[in-house]
Amino acid sequence: MSNYYPVLVLIGLLISVISAYRKAPFYNYIGIQITIYGLLKSAALIMPPLPAQVIVMYVAMSLFAFLIYFSIREETFRAFLEPMRSVLADRDKKLQRVVLVFIAIPLFAGYITYAKVRPSYKPPVTGRIVHPEPPQEIDFRGKTISILGLENPLRKETDRLKDHLEAGKKIYYQNCFFCHGDDLDGRGLFEQAFNPPPLPFRGTDTIAQLPESFVFWRIAKGWKALPPGSHPWDSAMPSFEDFLTEDQIWQVILFIYEATGNKPRTWE
Amino acid sequence: MWSAIVLILVLTLVPAKGFAQNEKGERIYKQWCGQCHGYEGDGEGYTKRYTFPTPRDFTMGVYKFRTTPTGEPPTDQDIIRSIRKGNPGTTMPPWKRFSDDEVKALTEYIKEFAPDVFEFEPEVIKITPPPFSEELIKEGREIFKKAKCVECHGLEGRGDGKKGWEENFKDDWGERIYPRNYTYPWDMRNGATVEDIFRTITTGLNGTPMTSYQDSLTDKQRWALAYFIKSLQLERHLGISLILKRVEKAPETPDDPLWDTLEYLDLPMGGQVIFEPRDFTPVITNVRVRGVYTEESVVIMLEWVDKKPDRGEEGNPPDAIRIQFPEKIPGGVEKPYFFLGDERHPVNVWWWKADGTVAEYSAKGYRNLQMQDRQNIKAEAEYSYGLYRVVFKRSLATDDENDMVFETGRFIPFSVAASDGREDEDDVRCAVSAWYYMMLEPSTPVKVYVMPPVVAFLVFGLGLVLHKRLSKS
Repeated sequence: MSNYYPVLVLIGLLISVISAYRKAPFYNYIGIQITIYGLLKSAALIMPPLPAQVIVMYVAMSLFAFLIYFSIREETFRAFLEPMRSVLADRDKKLQRVVLVFIAIPLFAGYITYAKVRPSYKPPVTGRIVHPEPPQEIDFRGKTISILGLENPLRKETDRLKDHLEAGKKIYYQNCFFCHGDDLDGRGLFEQAFNPPPLPFRGTDTIAQLPESFVFWRIAKGWKALPPGSHPWDSAMPSFEDFLTEDQIWQVILFIYEATGNKPRTWE
Repeated sequence: MWSAIVLILVLTLVPAKGFAQNEKGERIYKQWCGQCHGYEGDGEGYTKRYTFPTPRDFTMGVYKFRTTPTGEPPTDQDIIRSIRKGNPGTTMPPWKRFSDDEVKALTEYIKEFAPDVFEFEPEVIKITPPPFSEELIKEGREIFKKAKCVECHGLEGRGDGKKGWEENFKDDWGERIYPRNYTYPWDMRNGATVEDIFRTITTGLNGTPMTSYQDSLTDKQRWALAYFIKSLQLERHLGISLILKRVEKAPETPDDPLWDTLEYLDLPMGGQVIFEPRDFTPVITNVRVRGVYTEESVVIMLEWVDKKPDRGEEGNPPDAIRIQFPEKIPGGVEKPYFFLGDERHPVNVWWWKADGTVAEYSAKGYRNLQMQDRQNIKAEAEYSYGLYRVVFKRSLATDDENDMVFETGRFIPFSVAASDGREDEDDVRCAVSAWYYMMLEPSTPVKVYVMPPVVAFLVFGLGLVLHKRLSKS
């Protein structure tokens, strides 16, 4: 683990305590601000890291809160501003003034500006719907198949299930495993070549979430039937109605569920 | 009495060892290995005609990847290594899901296909690499030439040596086999580390023309060779986009030194499996793309390894490469289909073939390619020790309204398809890439140079004013 921000929290606290003791509200504030920043960053130890924007928001909020706090009473506010005034004005602070006010801060401001205006080129990125809404019915080589409420007809043939599974396995390893993987984990030989990458069938978030009818539609129609939101132009999923019969598609569906230990979602 | 006890022990133990049912191994083998290696272990599985190289036949007991001397069977650890790490660039994946016990049982089961071979545990070679040094690489380069590695692996190590193309260059099963291209570490079946390479050189690959160098080279020489081979490996730059810089004068030829100074993008290639004839065994696994542009034109170089050039003179199609762009740069996310476009979204195809043809096509799907009336591209090609380099050149805009206009600052989709004539690859049966982007980098806006100093100066001024004011009071 490389989250060292708790150390920053300690440093901030130390600065804050020492400066409170020495009655230096400006440095006290700096210490508290460091502590807050360190805490926000340390949160990543126990939860997903906070987005940079959220951190900026919290830091800005605490800045305003402390400004109000320190400016309520005239003399605290003066004490708070004292270090800044002294660097800007005092004769004996000339070195600090030159280094900080006349060199470091202008350079930093220049750098921030550069970072803002420098052109950065990012290719367009757009979200893609992985499991789009299937149509009510499809045309399978001239035959109309209703997708809604459709179930795998081969599951009823309990005495031939074993043969169907073996047939499905053969189809899988002659058509699908190049992309979807020997282990059905989406890590086939061509995994890297295509974008979007092939879907894994293992795990609980792909075919385990889908009814078999959906899977039938995806296999039968492939890239061609994807709606624009699912970027058909990028998909390397063939339309398997060109290569397989209806029964063969059901056989391979039986196999991919069986081999991954997943159960299809059913029509309640 | 002791002898009686020993006899009883032996009688009870021997059959137990010999005939114990290895149910765990059998179950895993039949479910996860048999489809390729054959349920009988003979390599006659469902994938035999669909993969290259073909799955191992276990019944001969001949194994390529071992830590044992040439001709010897592998150790259990060797078989386990192949299962756990897989063979990169083949359909043998790394099997990580199984427990150590399961893999052990599987190994025992696999050995049972050739029980005689595994009667004795052979000795194992030592693999302790000396520290890396430039000297070793230099020495390795000399050995590489002297030990005749070049005869098969080629002068630059791309697997393009002459001997690899002789009629009898086959494995023990009579299958065609190709010498490894060292520059593509992602394709090195036996692993790509210096230890892996040393192991291959030392033990040889049983059943193949790759012999063992254990006796003909010393340990140190083999390590030198391994370090040299390792040094030939390319570093793949993967990503989704390539920025093309503007130059004053475009490089015209593939050997222009400018090319080697440019940033590049590597495109992993896959088989075209969407339309008949499908390609399950593409041999071109990577195409490297570079490009620059000038005031008038854009120049793009595609580079890939092909172990033997085919000009289409032996009855097979010529080697070829093509790059495609949408006819119009898309305004939104919608693009043409990544393989040769579609009915509503035509693509420009720049096509170079090794028989010398250079042509510009318009495609509206894989069955709808039309050579354009006006040909506006030029191409220069070079083949050197297994490496093709093809340079395409076109003006940014042409007089053909069906040609895409290259605009600076826009992300322009492109994809690549490559075919190896020797493998009977052609326009549809070929290796393909996904969509990627290239962008012609616009000149840097003036504000980038002006604004930062202005802001720095203003902040400096502010500090000065505050200083003057405060020191007075």
